[in-house]
Amino acid sequence: MIIVVDALNKDRFGDLLDQMFQLRARVFGDRLGWEVTITNGREIDQFDHLDPAYVIGLDDDGNVVSCVRALQTTGPHMLSDVFQVLLDGEPPLRSATLWESTRFCVDTQRLAGDGTMKAVSWATCELMIGSLEYARRSGISDIITVIDPVVNRVLKRSDNAPYDYVGSTKQMGKVPAMAALLDCTEERINRVRAFANIHHDVFAEDDTVRALLDRKAQIAEQIVAEMAAEAEAEEEIRVTAEEIRDYCSDLLQSARTEKERADAQRLVDMLVRQRIHPTMPVLVHSR
Amino acid sequence: MELIDLGSVAKREDSFITFLDQVCDRFELDHAAYAGSNPVAGTIHGYVNYPEPWKAHYVKSGFHRIDPTLHKASRSIAPVDWRRLERDSQFHQVFRDASDFGITDRGLTIPVRGPYGDTGMLSVTRNCSVAEWDKLVAHIIPELQSVAVHVHDTVMRSDVLSRALRYPALSTREREILQWVAAGKSQQDVGDILGISHRTVEVHLRSGREKLYALTTPQAVGRAIALGLIYPL
Repeated sequence: MIIVVDALNKDRFGDLLDQMFQLRARVFGDRLGWEVTITNGREIDQFDHLDPAYVIGLDDDGNVVSCVRALQTTGPHMLSDVFQVLLDGEPPLRSATLWESTRFCVDTQRLAGDGTMKAVSWATCELMIGSLEYARRSGISDIITVIDPVVNRVLKRSDNAPYDYVGSTKQMGKVPAMAALLDCTEERINRVRAFANIHHDVFAEDDTVRALLDRKAQIAEQIVAEMAAEAEAEEEIRVTAEEIRDYCSDLLQSARTEKERADAQRLVDMLVRQRIHPTMPVLVHSR
Repeated sequence: MELIDLGSVAKREDSFITFLDQVCDRFELDHAAYAGSNPVAGTIHGYVNYPEPWKAHYVKSGFHRIDPTLHKASRSIAPVDWRRLERDSQFHQVFRDASDFGITDRGLTIPVRGPYGDTGMLSVTRNCSVAEWDKLVAHIIPELQSVAVHVHDTVMRSDVLSRALRYPALSTREREILQWVAAGKSQQDVGDILGISHRTVEVHLRSGREKLYALTTPQAVGRAIALGLIYPL
């Protein structure tokens, strides 16, 4: 399911954005080796402070599995401010009906758990459908997207090939990047839907997502509480040195066969060797 | 009807109001309002075609300080349907009074961001059923987006410094396409000549138009020639 988080509802979805920034750190920092700033395991840049809109994909358990960021090209955006080199020194396109999309990524680690790329492809297409439909609904006709050749291949494979590129592919740090154009027409959206066999409304209501996240947080809290209770219970049955000594001497004394005696002796030896408790030598002497 | 091109008329308050009236006529809307702030010039601008009594009441009540259609909507990148705004005390305070003046809460705000920290908003309303509203919005929203940026850019260029900053920065591709259009070629022809898709021509033409503060391609061509960006033929 897809949710759009922007300045108007981000107060309700801080936990979701936090998950998303962590996903971006794993993908762009760890996996792709982009030159991004990661603080505290989160990848956040200057454009995240400009109230962009995030289109975020969630799995059924409320985990962020994909995301992309959108900004208007009439105001500050990456191609006008930091990716200018991709445009060969030319001024960027600026239009009321053109949005820029950046930081497109999918959590392949989580989704490829079953050993196939099926879930990855599905989540990728769902995100593409969500972002194209969100833009279209907003009166946007085209998207210019800064991508690497990997995403470019993914787009082509999903029947969602860019109709053109602006500027040229340039090495940005360790990876090449390019600016691609996608139209937000119904034809394109239908092509991706047909390719992925996705025919439902991909968007989830804010309230639905909030309820899912709250339930998830509640379950997590429950598990933590249960673990704490278990740890406490374990503490309660912690035995004293005397009890261990008595247990061991009982074991030694009640041994009826040579094997039982040897086993009991091995336990005592181990307890002594591992210095489980300083009173263990007493046991040794008592045998 | 055709909208007047704000880029070529005197920047007087009534030309903006006339423009808003035309926007309402053309897109079948009741009212339209533009508000924007220009940090370069340190100015705030506002133009509305609401009825006078509501304008007076709005200002007297200080609603511009709490109106969620201004303060919340401006931080979105997408048009904000007012249904999306939280029904909090501020919303009720403004819209309870609005309804007394016959102003509906069926509306939307298109936020605009400019390159120099300038922001603007075009808000439009229409008193009608939800179904009718949704149908209308889906139909007019692409054009309203362009109109919003057109008003904003024009308002933001009303002082000399901002005008200098906003000298149209056309790319080679945008100039090239405008040049062929000036030579009388259709978009299809231009695509064939330059070996690019029709869609690429369209997206560059639209960008070029907006950079030249023009609503139509002929206006853009005229302005590009006047600025010496392309050659007259």
